[in-house]
Amino acid sequence: MGYNWYFQIVWDYREVFFRGAEVTAELTIGALAISLSLGLALGLCRSSRVGFVRWPAALYVELFRSTPILVQLVWIYYALPILSGVQMGNVLSAAVGIGLHSAAYVAEIFRAGIKSIERGQMDAAKSIGMRYSAAMRRIILPQAVRRMIPPFINEFATLIKLTTLGSVLAVNELLHESENLINNTYRPLEVYTALAIVFAVIIFPFIYLSQRLERYWRVRG
Amino acid sequence: MNGGPAITVRGLHKYFGRLHVLRGIDLVVGRGEVLVLIGPSGSGKSTLLRCIDFLEEYDQGEIWLGRDLVGYRRNAAGRLVRDRDAAVSRVRARMGMVFQSFNLFPHKTVLENVIEGPVIVKGQKRDEAIPPAKALLDRVGLSDKLHAYPTQLSGGQQQRAAIARALAMQPEAMLFDEPTSSLDPELVGEVLEVMRGLAADGMTMIVATHEMGFAQEIADRVMMIDHGMIVESGRPEQIFGAPAQERTAEFLRRVRH
Repeated sequence: MGYNWYFQIVWDYREVFFRGAEVTAELTIGALAISLSLGLALGLCRSSRVGFVRWPAALYVELFRSTPILVQLVWIYYALPILSGVQMGNVLSAAVGIGLHSAAYVAEIFRAGIKSIERGQMDAAKSIGMRYSAAMRRIILPQAVRRMIPPFINEFATLIKLTTLGSVLAVNELLHESENLINNTYRPLEVYTALAIVFAVIIFPFIYLSQRLERYWRVRG
Repeated sequence: MNGGPAITVRGLHKYFGRLHVLRGIDLVVGRGEVLVLIGPSGSGKSTLLRCIDFLEEYDQGEIWLGRDLVGYRRNAAGRLVRDRDAAVSRVRARMGMVFQSFNLFPHKTVLENVIEGPVIVKGQKRDEAIPPAKALLDRVGLSDKLHAYPTQLSGGQQQRAAIARALAMQPEAMLFDEPTSSLDPELVGEVLEVMRGLAADGMTMIVATHEMGFAQEIADRVMMIDHGMIVESGRPEQIFGAPAQERTAEFLRRVRH
């Protein structure tokens, strides 16, 4: 009602957002690389018929899904160095923490995707003499990945937003930069609104792309 | 290589949990022979074929493709142990399998489906694999569908493509698991026609089917299976004309209405 919006401030300090976006991008790419590769490995392990391959992966997934990511991040940054002597910088800690967390969800997406492919596909691949690994790579995963695109884009959007938790470890990503800006300008409403818009602008193209891909693959089986 | 039977099954038993689905199957298929398996649904025909291709592990007995044991090997102590994935795959590659539900790879075109085996399993170059694949697709009447995706084909066309995919590996024997059971009646003929051609060319075949007319026409030998056991086996004219077992006669009465 009586509030005077002053969005000019956002434009005046646009550099802050660009700087923050850069760090957010770094965090995202790092976390995504960990999340995807570890998630695929865990998903394959969880799909295994061999118990001692399957259950450690299951334990990992349940552990990371059932504990708060905030605790995981703090733990990796502060507790891990005490226990292991390995001290990672705050950016790397945040990327690793978010990546490890997200991997649990990506693993579930991979597992569900693999499971959704009819058994006959593996049978047919085996029947022409393909080995399990080749059948997975050439027949099962390419089909499964198509079905995984929508949940995966979902997880990706979540991951980008999770990078804001880097602020807890004083990583200068978008949220942390924004909070610094608020402390200097006392304009939380404008800055947070702008922050939301920046995230939407980053994430929306991926959602759009996934919808296009889905439509494209519906035609090609 | 040419001496001896193509496929030998001895004392085969298979359980699904506590369910005893194959209870001591013995059979020998000679080279170039066409063996047709008949029997009610759930009698174990499919499971038998799947065991022969080692898509199911069997619990007891032996299956031989030529002189090679399927799925197992003898260890130093002379006991049968599960063979390595690579060895199992090598034996599987020598048999072609055709499924009731076709199981074409939906993300690949018809031609890509057919060259997948030669390229990935046999390590042929794509360019080498394509001409024989095209010849096979021509043989099954699909030369105008090379670049179509499976979803764009009728059931009969899909099944013919699946047969071409199996043949591309130049198998020693072909296993057909009710290849026409999920087809519309008017599409059955085109698939049977392809199989007829294969039989005439001397392909060793084991066919599980409910098409009794076709069985009678194509089979060198017919085997009636029920409750996981062989009820009887013989020349088609004997099985269809004068079955020795009442169980067979009753089954034939039911399927012929």
